[in-house]
Amino acid sequence: MSVSVSLPPFPSRHPAPFAALLLALAGWLAWLTMAPLLAASGPVDSLLLMNSALPRLAVALLAGAALGLSGALFQFVLKNPLASPATLGVSAGANLALVVAMLYAPALMGLGRDVVALAGSGIAAAVVLRLGARRDFSPFVLILAGLIVSLWCGALAAILILMNDRYLAGLFIWGAGSLSQQSWQPVLSLAPKLLVAAVLAGLMLRPLALLEAGDVTASSLGARVPRLRFMAVAIAVVLAALVTSTVGVIGFIGLVAPAIARLTGARRPAAILLWSGVFGAGLLSATDGLVQWMAGGMKDFVPTGAVTAVIGAPLLLALLGGLKARHRPLPAARPQRMAASVERWGRGRWVVLALGFLLLLTLALFVGRAPLTGGWSLPPLPVLDDILALRLPRVVAALSAGAMLAVAGVILQRLTGNELASPEVLGISAGATVGVTVLLFVAAVPTLPLQLLAASLGSLAVLAAIFTLGFGKRFEPERLLMAGVALSALVDAICGVIAVNGDPRAMILLRWMSGSTYSADLTLSLTVLVSGLVLAVAALAMRRWLDILPLGTETASGVGIDLGRSRLLLFLVAGILSGAATLAAGPLSFAGLMGPHIARELGLKRAGSQIVGGALAGAGILVLADWAGRNLAFPYEMPAGLVAALIGTPLLLALIRRG
Amino acid sequence: MRSLSRRSLLAAAGASLWALPTHAGAKAPRIVSLDYGLSSTLLSLGLAPVGIAGVADWGKWVVEPPLPPGVADVGDALMVNREALTALAPTLILSTPYLDSLTPMLETIAPVLRLSVYDASGGPVLPKAEAATRLLGDHLGRRAEAEAFLERADRHFDTCRAAVRAAGAPPVAVISFLDARHARIYTAPGLFDDTLGRIGMRNAWPRAGQYWGFDTIGIERLTEIDAPGAHLIALEPLPREALPTLSDSPIWSSLSFVRERRFAVLPITLMFGMVNEAMRFAGQMAEYARRVT
Repeated sequence: MSVSVSLPPFPSRHPAPFAALLLALAGWLAWLTMAPLLAASGPVDSLLLMNSALPRLAVALLAGAALGLSGALFQFVLKNPLASPATLGVSAGANLALVVAMLYAPALMGLGRDVVALAGSGIAAAVVLRLGARRDFSPFVLILAGLIVSLWCGALAAILILMNDRYLAGLFIWGAGSLSQQSWQPVLSLAPKLLVAAVLAGLMLRPLALLEAGDVTASSLGARVPRLRFMAVAIAVVLAALVTSTVGVIGFIGLVAPAIARLTGARRPAAILLWSGVFGAGLLSATDGLVQWMAGGMKDFVPTGAVTAVIGAPLLLALLGGLKARHRPLPAARPQRMAASVERWGRGRWVVLALGFLLLLTLALFVGRAPLTGGWSLPPLPVLDDILALRLPRVVAALSAGAMLAVAGVILQRLTGNELASPEVLGISAGATVGVTVLLFVAAVPTLPLQLLAASLGSLAVLAAIFTLGFGKRFEPERLLMAGVALSALVDAICGVIAVNGDPRAMILLRWMSGSTYSADLTLSLTVLVSGLVLAVAALAMRRWLDILPLGTETASGVGIDLGRSRLLLFLVAGILSGAATLAAGPLSFAGLMGPHIARELGLKRAGSQIVGGALAGAGILVLADWAGRNLAFPYEMPAGLVAALIGTPLLLALIRRG
Repeated sequence: MRSLSRRSLLAAAGASLWALPTHAGAKAPRIVSLDYGLSSTLLSLGLAPVGIAGVADWGKWVVEPPLPPGVADVGDALMVNREALTALAPTLILSTPYLDSLTPMLETIAPVLRLSVYDASGGPVLPKAEAATRLLGDHLGRRAEAEAFLERADRHFDTCRAAVRAAGAPPVAVISFLDARHARIYTAPGLFDDTLGRIGMRNAWPRAGQYWGFDTIGIERLTEIDAPGAHLIALEPLPREALPTLSDSPIWSSLSFVRERRFAVLPITLMFGMVNEAMRFAGQMAEYARRVT
């Protein structure tokens, strides 16, 4: 593996002083919460102290330690400083499993929350790691796969809540991780399980140390590397699943704790595991202390898990600053797949593709459900133009958004040499969501035009931030993508806090995030369509860069391409494309990920034809998803973005595995 | 935007070809209501809407009055199905501030009457609901029916008040469990809080909340209820694991209303409703007060 990722050296010999400092801070914050209870001597106060405040502190310490340990194991085994239960999709998988079980199979919960959560995180981890294995566990591919699985689990959980839980927000609370406690029971049940897992992790220390010496050395020393890896990952998954089933999703502790352990001087595997646990416990209890201390004034319900994500996302960005991701020449196989190669596409195939697309458009416009009876039918002639007036803007919006996302995806994948890159991952879509969130809280009436304006401003702000961050680094693609990961997580956490408080505005936000063409009128969709066409032409004009850049920076410079300028222009086009498309399809559709892949699977390998074919595929996916969303649950609508993500992601994963 | 002739053409075509129920006497207003509270109020004024949002969940959240058969479903309120709405050819759409972002779109289909009960101006909810009922009556030429309905409501509240007084008017806190560790507690100002006041009961929860009338809390905060003799009412639906888990909690078991069995689970009443929902809640509370004394 030619990717080198390491953390910068840090002027420290031992983690102990830092850990002591952190724990002292956590202790002080806990004292602030508990002092009033101690001072008052009523029976209620001592009861609250003994059965709420203390178990809450204990659960924070335990969950934090477990997540820190889990993150350290993941990072160690995968040799990836960005691995953690949150970034690998393990926590989101557990949460989705719990949501599904609560809604559809409450009997399953009888088996215990732990079992359900474990099944969910196990499946999520298996999917992510299988994808990663195909790319030699390349750190960035792994994290991107984790993000995709996280987003997918989040999308499915959201659609289930949207369709089932009109007024109750209980499911959001698990998604946002609350540490609120009313007895010692969760602590007493969690502690022994965690202890067993931690002891097992301890037993693996020696073999793990062999792993560190490198796979070849370890094999020659007799350790069975794949089995070791599997066991260590399994323990890490179990630790994270236990925490999720007890308190919900707690973001980023598993990422940050091991990083701090290493930064402060832990070197040997034993030290890293130990201190990751300690820092995890300190971080989570300190965060929770802070949350309780601040909530004491407002008495608002703030879920701690979402707060750790809000704090953790900027930390991830800061860690990125220290990451040395050397730009790599791609492995030999990749340029064959990515860049110019023999392409035997006659005119015939293009005609078939175009005809198929037209057929789909006809279906989307003409086939629907009769209002009231709900039967499938074609609209009768007298109302045909009325019905078309309602359907056309939505079909055009879906079509344009899908095509634009796909073109942006082609650009980003070729720029980064990474087949899992996509506009959804860049964080631009997340920026649009932030814009709408802010609007909901400042505007008396968040009309549709205002929502669109706010979304554009949000996208542009992220775009500007990306360029500011990226300029000094000559647009290292991985860095930009990871910034997107951090930003998406941040947005998710903020929305979680709003949703948990049961503010009905959360429903509006959830609908926005789920990506419906509902708000598209003819003016909007034609605007999006025209700007999409202009930008797609611009992308086509730059197709030479897109053919050559995946071959590696050396090759590209060799043929006289100005790396900084070409990357800036390409990122700008991709950014505007995804920002504009988010207005119509929401931040989650994955059309930008699937379009380019389908085009490649069809054999379209040159940048120019991949752009055209990918655009058709992306447009097709969203048009189909929009049609399905409008009709399957008629008269209730499922948002096109979520439907596309739900149908498309498994398809995409299958494609990647086969590819 | 769309001309009236176009609309009636659409309705006619729908009637013949899309199985729209016939409405030969086109004199009666064709009303579509996008809010449960407004829908139930409409029924109490003796008018059946041609369509409402969320027919599928009426039985889950509103329960009574029962929805007459033949009321069409136009989907979710925040994503009204435009094809279904257009085909109903409404002459009036009832909406609320919560749905303000939809208003420009709705106005292209039919005139919109926006009635405000829950909005950022805050204040007591029940008087706002009564005012909205009168406005609705005025707008539909049903002033007399509206007054009669409100009078009926007043008599019902008075009956409940008498029953509650006879039962010693215990203070109550009302919650909905979110899971085994969290709940929504219904606060002042709010529909439930106002209704309790109207029938002479006191909301035992001491803090104000946001304008929808609830707050999200950890169960341990129920210890903040210190009114002597307070009762705790949990509304259905109840998460399956809530009570078994809580029975293991020393805090839950120590709460005076749990220890002294002043705790009950009652059927759902729509918490974001209007006068009908207040009446249903008042009736349940009076019945409960009668039952426990």
